[in-house]
Amino acid sequence: MFNTLQLPSGHITHCGARFVNRFLTPSLFLLVFSALLVLSAGAAHAESVVPNAVPPVGTHDGDDVPQPIEFPHNTHVDVNKINCMYCHTYARRSPVAGIPPTSKCMGCHSVIATDKPRIKKLTEYWENKEPPPWRKVHDVPDYVHFTHEKHLKRFVFDNEGMEVENVSEVCAFCHGDVKNMTVAHKVKPLNMGFCRRCHEANEGPFDCWKCHK
Amino acid sequence: MSLSNILEDWSRYRKDREDGGFHDYEHMWGMAIDLNKCIGCNACSVACYAENNLPVVGREKFSKGQAMHWMRIERYWDEPDLGDDRISEFNQHGANFIPMNCQQCNAATCEPVCPVAATYHTPDGLNAQVYNRCIGSRYCSNNCPYRLRFFNFYSYYEDAWPAPLEMQLNPDLSVRDKGVMEKCTFCVQRIRSVKDKAKMDNRPVADGEAMPACAQTCPTSAIVFGDLLKHYDPDTNAPETKVTKMWRAHQVELGKPRQNKQNPELRGYRVFEGLNTDPCVMFLERVREV
Amino acid sequence: MSNKVNRRDFLKIMGWGGVGATLAGCDMPTTVTLEEGKEQVTSYLVPEEYVIPGVGVYYASTCLQCPAGCGLHGRVREGRILKLEGNPESPVNQGKLCQMGQAGVQTHYNPDRLTRPMARKGSGLTPVSWDEALSMIQSKTSGLAGERFAWFTDTVSGHQAVLMDAYRESIGSSRHYVHEIINNSVARQVNQDMLGDPQPHLRFDKARVVLSFGADFLGTWQSPVHNAVEYATFREAPRGVLVQVEPKMTLTGANADLWVAVRPGTEGVFALAVANALSAKDPARLDGLPDKARQLIRRYDIKKASRITGASGDHIVKVSGWLAERSPSLVIAGASAEGHEHGYDTVAATMLLNIILGNIGKTIESSGTFPFPQLAARTGGTKDLIDFAKAVDDKELDVVFFRGANPVFTAPETLGLKEKLNKVGFKVAFSMFEDETTRMADLVLPMYSPLEDWGTHVAAYQPGPSVIAIQQPLMQPLYDQTRGFGDVMLSLLKMQKAAGYSDYPDYYAYLRDAFSAMPGSLKNGASDDEFWASVMQKGVLAVDTGEGRLSANVIDFDLPENPAKEGAYHLVPSARLGMWDGRHANIPWLQEAPDQISKVVWDSWAEIHPNTARKLGVKTGDAIKITSASGTIEANVYVYKGIHPDAIAVPMGQGHEAYGRYAKGRGVNPLKILALNTEGKTGELAHHGTEVQVSRTSVRDAMVQFGGSETQMGRKIIATVTADVYERTEGEA
Repeated sequence: MFNTLQLPSGHITHCGARFVNRFLTPSLFLLVFSALLVLSAGAAHAESVVPNAVPPVGTHDGDDVPQPIEFPHNTHVDVNKINCMYCHTYARRSPVAGIPPTSKCMGCHSVIATDKPRIKKLTEYWENKEPPPWRKVHDVPDYVHFTHEKHLKRFVFDNEGMEVENVSEVCAFCHGDVKNMTVAHKVKPLNMGFCRRCHEANEGPFDCWKCHK
Repeated sequence: MSLSNILEDWSRYRKDREDGGFHDYEHMWGMAIDLNKCIGCNACSVACYAENNLPVVGREKFSKGQAMHWMRIERYWDEPDLGDDRISEFNQHGANFIPMNCQQCNAATCEPVCPVAATYHTPDGLNAQVYNRCIGSRYCSNNCPYRLRFFNFYSYYEDAWPAPLEMQLNPDLSVRDKGVMEKCTFCVQRIRSVKDKAKMDNRPVADGEAMPACAQTCPTSAIVFGDLLKHYDPDTNAPETKVTKMWRAHQVELGKPRQNKQNPELRGYRVFEGLNTDPCVMFLERVREV
Repeated sequence: MSNKVNRRDFLKIMGWGGVGATLAGCDMPTTVTLEEGKEQVTSYLVPEEYVIPGVGVYYASTCLQCPAGCGLHGRVREGRILKLEGNPESPVNQGKLCQMGQAGVQTHYNPDRLTRPMARKGSGLTPVSWDEALSMIQSKTSGLAGERFAWFTDTVSGHQAVLMDAYRESIGSSRHYVHEIINNSVARQVNQDMLGDPQPHLRFDKARVVLSFGADFLGTWQSPVHNAVEYATFREAPRGVLVQVEPKMTLTGANADLWVAVRPGTEGVFALAVANALSAKDPARLDGLPDKARQLIRRYDIKKASRITGASGDHIVKVSGWLAERSPSLVIAGASAEGHEHGYDTVAATMLLNIILGNIGKTIESSGTFPFPQLAARTGGTKDLIDFAKAVDDKELDVVFFRGANPVFTAPETLGLKEKLNKVGFKVAFSMFEDETTRMADLVLPMYSPLEDWGTHVAAYQPGPSVIAIQQPLMQPLYDQTRGFGDVMLSLLKMQKAAGYSDYPDYYAYLRDAFSAMPGSLKNGASDDEFWASVMQKGVLAVDTGEGRLSANVIDFDLPENPAKEGAYHLVPSARLGMWDGRHANIPWLQEAPDQISKVVWDSWAEIHPNTARKLGVKTGDAIKITSASGTIEANVYVYKGIHPDAIAVPMGQGHEAYGRYAKGRGVNPLKILALNTEGKTGELAHHGTEVQVSRTSVRDAMVQFGGSETQMGRKIIATVTADVYERTEGEA
């Protein structure tokens, strides 16, 4: 039922004005995102294969975030060559990329690698009808309007010479080299300067109200 | 609006308005509000509270003029009835209602006085307030001739939405904290999502697609919202928007402190346009049978 | 954006180093980004159909903030309902919504919702389980002599009403009291007697002149949003003229071309005088009228009518002139006309004008016959309240189920309902809030909000094509101990072992079955599932009501020669769009939305005319004491010229003793001091007929009003042109 997962209301101090993080997670069945979020991390930035783009500059040394299941992004992306958007399916049609529904995991893992401890744990969640309580790694403040779909359009779908198979390189702009990570490590600062420098280099819009809400 | 604009270009900006504009505008969002149809019912105002996370301030703060109604209905009684009831015993022509939201002035008096450029003009022709930048000097609200800027004197979020009321808050815009000025945005979050959608489909924004909460709910459809820009661009193939048609039909033009209408009987006017604020909201005069 | 001077340089120039220290944080990760790993994100187990995280989805439902039955589109994102809009598919509101509808989300998310069943143990209410609650009901109703059970509700319709009837019949009772303080029961009776249709369609959009006697059709009358939509057409060229005749300016009066103040209770005289003036110009207009009616019309020449009503004779001439020149017109009557001992006759006099003017069939159309009478609205007014109080006093009732209505709040003090209710052994409240009536209940059943529940609704006033309006949940219930009304009814029916209900696991299943059983003509060949899906999607189901014909039967009626009692003040308990009858006093947005006329917020006030104010020696903001035979209330005054000097208007809606943090202890309730006069022919409460004494009293808390200036002080904020200018410039369009 609702209200079972009240989140702490964080206060963010920024540029003289304080804003309230008032976005809630009301339900076990229905998820809430206030802004972008992707469970991923990375270490070093790989050589870009994205044409017509200047990757944003900036690094961040994020904390380790313990996840309920140590999800190996590398096994999925690097070894098995699964496209990021296969699981983060909302990224191309929503402001948020979304955490894949548990049913999506089970689509494969009801038959693949069922004996592995992590999959056993996943299966347990599935059978209890509870999605794993993932922890947010990437987020922007609530006063920021960021949309995945338009960034993907600019750097992937409308980008001449760009192969959709290489989408992980675009994701890496902000999320780091996720395909060589297991879980969650934030390596990009995702602050205004980071966004601004990228918009400058790639001629993105500069209107305050494009991003501030 | 950067500092250089403020320091160097302001007089040029004000003057250039009369020659057709300063920016390369993408849109010029505007309104036409028909006072012949407005019934003063308050639906627009409450819709605005619902859409824009406006806090309820309560009786005491309301009495100090701190209410946060971005869209409000002003009510005036007829002038001849003023004070002396020997003139007329009753308000026999009813009340005068006018919905007042930010007039989105193109030569906004609030913009140049902001010491940190937190309020500026967007390429959409909107008078923007960037909450993050705002330091709460309140110069802008002092300078607004319409009194349509609202200051967060308190951290209203602390008690304006006791649980679970806060679950209604719109995630598409911030909840503002103490020390920040705020104002009507023409529901920029809706405009933004409509523009995003149009961009995703590689098409222009259609007329009527972007709709602020007040215009959407208005029971008499007295509020018409749309893009005024095409008014100034006869070359474009895009069909004229409804709001542009209304402005043209009433011979009201942007960029003029005084309208020289061919037909002075036409009802369109802008409130306090003589101040050369160049508002993007046109009103159509109230009509009464006598 | 030019970057000639960057922001830090700018701050140096301005010498605002102190602020700069804060602002310089813009590039510092620790203050800008959220800490990773501190928040949890929960994914779907299985993705919901249609739902994309971060994108709002709209679902159709029905607004239950008043009985008009407007269609809703609710914006749902990540499982939360965020915003309500009008449903363009609904012929009632056509995509529009009033402030009360907009505030529906605050009813739903209200912090004072009841969250669990409670039963009276001793003097207080203590939590019980649903099973205990239902078995309490079962034990109290088993072996009950049928007529000792009653429903007491507000307007109900649709399948909920079917289940309520079924339950009532399973006990063997015929008692269902329906109470609305804002009603048109008297006018319905007149419509039935004169037109043969209690609720005909009114066509404001077709009328060239609307003459309204106290009918606040833009605010609180019948279907305000629908009326407002039609009003917009009415005001387009050729522009219709609106005349409002009433003692206190309503929202509709504030929009009139001509607002005529009349002494309370004299609306009928004004109507007959207009008929008189019409017949003076064209005697043929009275052809075919019975002698009695002609005599009545002849009784009120302009001079006499002007003396009785207090309206100027010029206005009577002007109004009759408009009516004579512009056809068709529409004459309607509302609360201030109905609410007197001679209310029926007053409304009949106004309807007589429609007959004289030939409006029947033009602007007043038959509503036809609704094909599912079992779903039609059970309407009521105040007669049921009075009858109920008597039945309670006579100890005729042992078990009463309350739903929707709040009679302890709306009943006049002299009715003594609060005390009398102690004579009812077992009172059950189906309620979302602890209002005054719920507080007295022996068992409180917390209901789903309208945005959480299933239902169907058939509004009493069906403008245009008749519809069954669909109510579907827009989100998961907020509280797991609340239940849907239909679900509870099914549980009770099963306990009663009523035939035909045992197969339904819940109300949803019942509704699905009911829609499958709808006649094929409504389904257009669709399968049951397709039909259901399309109805859910549209939010309304249009039904054919056939062609009806209205009669124009001039009934035998009479008015007192001079219905006004001069020299006495009359209390006008005025209805506000917003507070309604008080059911919305717990919505903070509506408390903070200024009254359209007085612009007062969070409070009650008394409207008085400047002449009255001078007599009393008060000005706006001062306090007065209003005393009737049955009590006293105090309020600050708002002095303006939108009220007759003989009237004192106090709006309904405030003065709650309970009903949550936003409503409780705020303002006064004018209904409390109403006299128990009843309308002579219908037995409805003559709620505008209370005489009061008024005197100045010491200062209460200051009244809080929006704005500071009552006029424009010569500024051109709102400009007005005359209608002939409008016709010249826009008349061709």
